[in-house]
Amino acid sequence: MSERGPDFDDLVGSDLGPGERERLLRVHELLVAAGPPPELPSGLAVPPAREPTRLVRRRRRVALVALAAAFGLAAFAAGFLIADRGDQRGTFRVVAMTGTAEAPGASASLEVFDVDAAGNWPMEISVEGLGPSASGRPYELWLTSKGRLAALCGSFLPEPDGTAVVPMNAPYKLKEFDGWVVVEEGTTAPILTTT
Amino acid sequence: MDSSFALAPVWAHTRAVTIELVREPNFTDSELIERVADGDRPAFEELYRRYARAVLGLALRRLGDRGRAEDAAQDAFVAIWRSARTYDSDRGTGAPWLYAVARNAITDGLRRSPEPAAELEDRPGGGPDPADRAESAWTAWRVHRALEVLPPHERPVIELAYWRGLSQSEIAESLGIPLGTVKTRTRSALARLADALEEELP
Repeated sequence: MSERGPDFDDLVGSDLGPGERERLLRVHELLVAAGPPPELPSGLAVPPAREPTRLVRRRRRVALVALAAAFGLAAFAAGFLIADRGDQRGTFRVVAMTGTAEAPGASASLEVFDVDAAGNWPMEISVEGLGPSASGRPYELWLTSKGRLAALCGSFLPEPDGTAVVPMNAPYKLKEFDGWVVVEEGTTAPILTTT
Repeated sequence: MDSSFALAPVWAHTRAVTIELVREPNFTDSELIERVADGDRPAFEELYRRYARAVLGLALRRLGDRGRAEDAAQDAFVAIWRSARTYDSDRGTGAPWLYAVARNAITDGLRRSPEPAAELEDRPGGGPDPADRAESAWTAWRVHRALEVLPPHERPVIELAYWRGLSQSEIAESLGIPLGTVKTRTRSALARLADALEEELP
């Protein structure tokens, strides 16, 4: 076998019609390009539970930050109050986020879906007007509490046109928090905040 | 301000979850994701069966290290559990959505981990460019998922031919079946894969 895989004609013979031959040749090329799938170790023999303890523990790390007062409780409350109350099926709230001086043209909409049976809050953030970070690192969506980054919900990279639509999650009790911010990974300066 | 201002109604919005067993093996990925969104554990297990190796392969490609990749694969499936309700079948089939959620979860793990990754920054002049890497990862994802549709008697002939480098005669000897059967199974398996790649995946 060469790097191009086994000989295709050896595999399928010479009596295929041209259409079928072309179809199988495409699969042959994809198999060669993909390479072998990994074998599953015993630890992955069964699906994970919905809430692995280690995952929850890891995501409860708290980063201390000095967020401006404007990004505190009042901002979070206003975000809820002016947001679309969301009669759309499955949507609990849609929260508006606006760019800070770091990204004055950016905005985002954070759709919070109904809590699921396990207490998780699926979300989807839709961002507009946000360029790549100066460092090239992803942006992160955090829940905040008392002016601090408190719980990570997920990360994303904007598309070249400044948009991003990314599923996020909050496996936490939301009432323990007072807002959301988007920061550049590894920093604490808000890029987008709930308004 | 009372911190319960907007969150008090949350608990009133909790919906009853209907659990239905997956009795049909032919649900599409989209249908399974929608069932997972309703808390259907068997549907999640079927998705896991279909995608576990593809997710682990993606994690290995991104992280390089086997142990970290296994952790990331678990994280990816937890993310799929949690995010299923955000899936909208009108916006695409299940495979690209699953790929996006898994990749995002794996990237989260990459960012949290201090160790260097196998696939990190773009290096001018070194290695394939990001677009090629992304295309390669997507191709592997699609193919590894499609392999799961093969029946147990067809899959070995593909794996031995493509990834063990065995000739058709060697495969026949290895599996203890006639050469003609190897050829028949190979052609049948390729046709089945073609169907899967054309129908289930974009």
